[in-house]
Amino acid sequence: MATTVDPLPAEGPTEDPMGAAGPRPGRMRLSPAVWFLAPAVLALAAVGIYPLGVAVVNSLHRYNLARPNAPTPFVGLDNYVAVLSDPSFWGAVGRTFAFLALVLPAELALGVLFALALHRPGLGLMRALTRVALVIPIATTYAVVGLIGRLIFNRQFGVANQALSWVGLPPVDWLGDPTLAFVAIAIMDVWQWTPFCALILLAGLTMVPRETEEAARLETTSAWSIFRHLQLPYLLPGITAILILRTADVLKLFDAVFVMTRGGPGTATELISIYVQRVAFRVFDQGLASAQAVILLVITIVLSRLYIKFVYREV
Amino acid sequence: MRHTLTSLAAAAVLTFAGGASAWTLKEAAAPYKGTTIKAIFLDRPGYAAAQKLIPQFEQETGIKVTWEVIPYESSRERQVLNFASQGGEVDVALVDVVWIGEFASNGWLVPINKFTSDPKLADPELNLKGFFPILLESFGTWNKEVYGLPFDNYSGLMFYNKCMLEEAGFKEPPKTWDELLNTYGPKLTKPEKNQYAFALQSRRGETQSADSFMRVLWPFGGSLLNDKFRSNLMSAESQKGLEFRQQLMKYMPPGIVDYDHAEAVNALAQGNVAMITEWSAFYSTLMDPTKSKVKDCLAITTEPAGPAGLKPALGGFSLAVSSQSPAAKQAASWLLIQWLTSAKMAVPYIEAGGVSGRVDAYKGLEDKYQFVKPMVASWQGGVPDYRPRFPEWASITEIVAEWGTRIMLNEVSVKDGAAAIGQRMEAVLQEAGYYEGKKPLLK
Repeated sequence: MATTVDPLPAEGPTEDPMGAAGPRPGRMRLSPAVWFLAPAVLALAAVGIYPLGVAVVNSLHRYNLARPNAPTPFVGLDNYVAVLSDPSFWGAVGRTFAFLALVLPAELALGVLFALALHRPGLGLMRALTRVALVIPIATTYAVVGLIGRLIFNRQFGVANQALSWVGLPPVDWLGDPTLAFVAIAIMDVWQWTPFCALILLAGLTMVPRETEEAARLETTSAWSIFRHLQLPYLLPGITAILILRTADVLKLFDAVFVMTRGGPGTATELISIYVQRVAFRVFDQGLASAQAVILLVITIVLSRLYIKFVYREV
Repeated sequence: MRHTLTSLAAAAVLTFAGGASAWTLKEAAAPYKGTTIKAIFLDRPGYAAAQKLIPQFEQETGIKVTWEVIPYESSRERQVLNFASQGGEVDVALVDVVWIGEFASNGWLVPINKFTSDPKLADPELNLKGFFPILLESFGTWNKEVYGLPFDNYSGLMFYNKCMLEEAGFKEPPKTWDELLNTYGPKLTKPEKNQYAFALQSRRGETQSADSFMRVLWPFGGSLLNDKFRSNLMSAESQKGLEFRQQLMKYMPPGIVDYDHAEAVNALAQGNVAMITEWSAFYSTLMDPTKSKVKDCLAITTEPAGPAGLKPALGGFSLAVSSQSPAAKQAASWLLIQWLTSAKMAVPYIEAGGVSGRVDAYKGLEDKYQFVKPMVASWQGGVPDYRPRFPEWASITEIVAEWGTRIMLNEVSVKDGAAAIGQRMEAVLQEAGYYEGKKPLLK
């Protein structure tokens, strides 16, 4: 890390090109890099590393926030054993990865399509307006997305059933049926995060040298060939970032789903974040919830490394 | 009960010894003028009513009252986090009937005896006996000590659309659950017209556990726990109640497992269902012509009776003083709670949209407010521990909510679901130490 310390010369004048007097003997001079990095490191330590440390410590104790008079004994790895042998936890993990497998490819595919459409020359004002419009879903608060979702998928007056009626289909219970509720939360996630993917990928497309792209268009009329051999390599860093960020996002996705379904009906939409929230802030079992959070962190790190290893390529 | 009696005695002594004229709110509040206190409120009619009345208290006392309006689902979390971190942000705690055990046993609330025994703070007209006994016992009392005064009081009632019933040939609402299922259900359900006989709000969460699951246990003679705190869900009575709910679902709108209070009330208000069993507090919503199409057709009665008689849902909140507040704020908070729940303010509170817990407030209001008669009848025959009030309810309600919904969705059978709830519930109670005698069997 940036804590290098420049050793002072043992004796003789300093070689400061500015001619300033050197530090007094016995004093160490910190590299400027330390000062530049220190605020970021301190902020990270305060908001990331310290809470993580507390979570790890909590995960090794029996600790219920709602039982302030109860002892908090050290229990070793008992909480981890309890989590790993809890079928509800694994059920929630399974649903989360099913959700990820559903939304991530959809968001990537749609994001690529939108990015390519916006990358085409000559759309002028329309393109500028579309870029602004893309920011709206991203800027919408998760809880508001959940509320919008409840309205869209309301059985009686929701837009979703209205759309079905236009093609002659009967209304369905989007939020009352386990499978459809899962689909409904996935649709809302795709609605909110496809624009994010599109904007990242659009930035990637602007990195393709204009001359190379023009030359490629002269060489072939196949859009697929241009995309596959020229544009895709420039998109890979963005795709890696999307994979990492969206995976982390989905693992902590809470507000929108909670507002839409509260994890129901049954356990149909109980993603891992909702399960952890129940344990942490309904039951207030901080020991168990911390163990769950640490396990999730490990899963996220492993997935991120895998994404970098198998997807990321320098252009 | 000893402390309750002490409080009552203290109030009585103050009434007769001090004389009502000797005590005024203004004088009692004088030392606390300029003090600011904070309360936790919900976005419900009773709290809107309190907000209308509080300026009067502020004017009379010089005490400034602030409040934070929180969704019900987050209100326990908000308060537990505050108390556990010694945050001191809450002076007037909002205590749901199922939180009283947790808040009181953790020492987060001040027993009211501290204030009722202080002649400077105790209103001689406090009269604890003036509350419906079931409300004071259930919402405000834990282990025979009174901590809070009933503030936002609910009883489960049956709201029904008498026009729809008359159209179907019924002159009166069903008196029993059996009648509702076998006689009213078939005639009032017309799916092709998007019309259903009944809606039972059953969304996962406290709505599933309190409003749906527990509602079908008690009237059929069942219960969650037996006297030894073992699961009673496999008893014939509990099973009958849960099976009944499954049968009744065919007369409910599709997707009923996603219905919260808002959806159930709205379904009645829009004329899509003929009957709902809901909290008395929703009366003002259903009578509001901007929200309800059925104002003129609305009628209210007690919940249907089961083989075990009338066992309606019971819910509500008390207001209590936080033990973590400084002494001056505690005193100011007590004065607010005492005033807001007083017999004197009961009628203004009702007229502002609240539901008072004072017995006398409803005398003469039976004709003005349709909900009064059935609500009073319900409070006179209800079950104080309709839901267990011990600290472990927070864990148990999650279990019931999950498996209760799964039963309704037919993901598991009634028997298997009830067994799963029982097994998990007993594990929670085992860990808490009830079976080893470490904790008294209080609920």
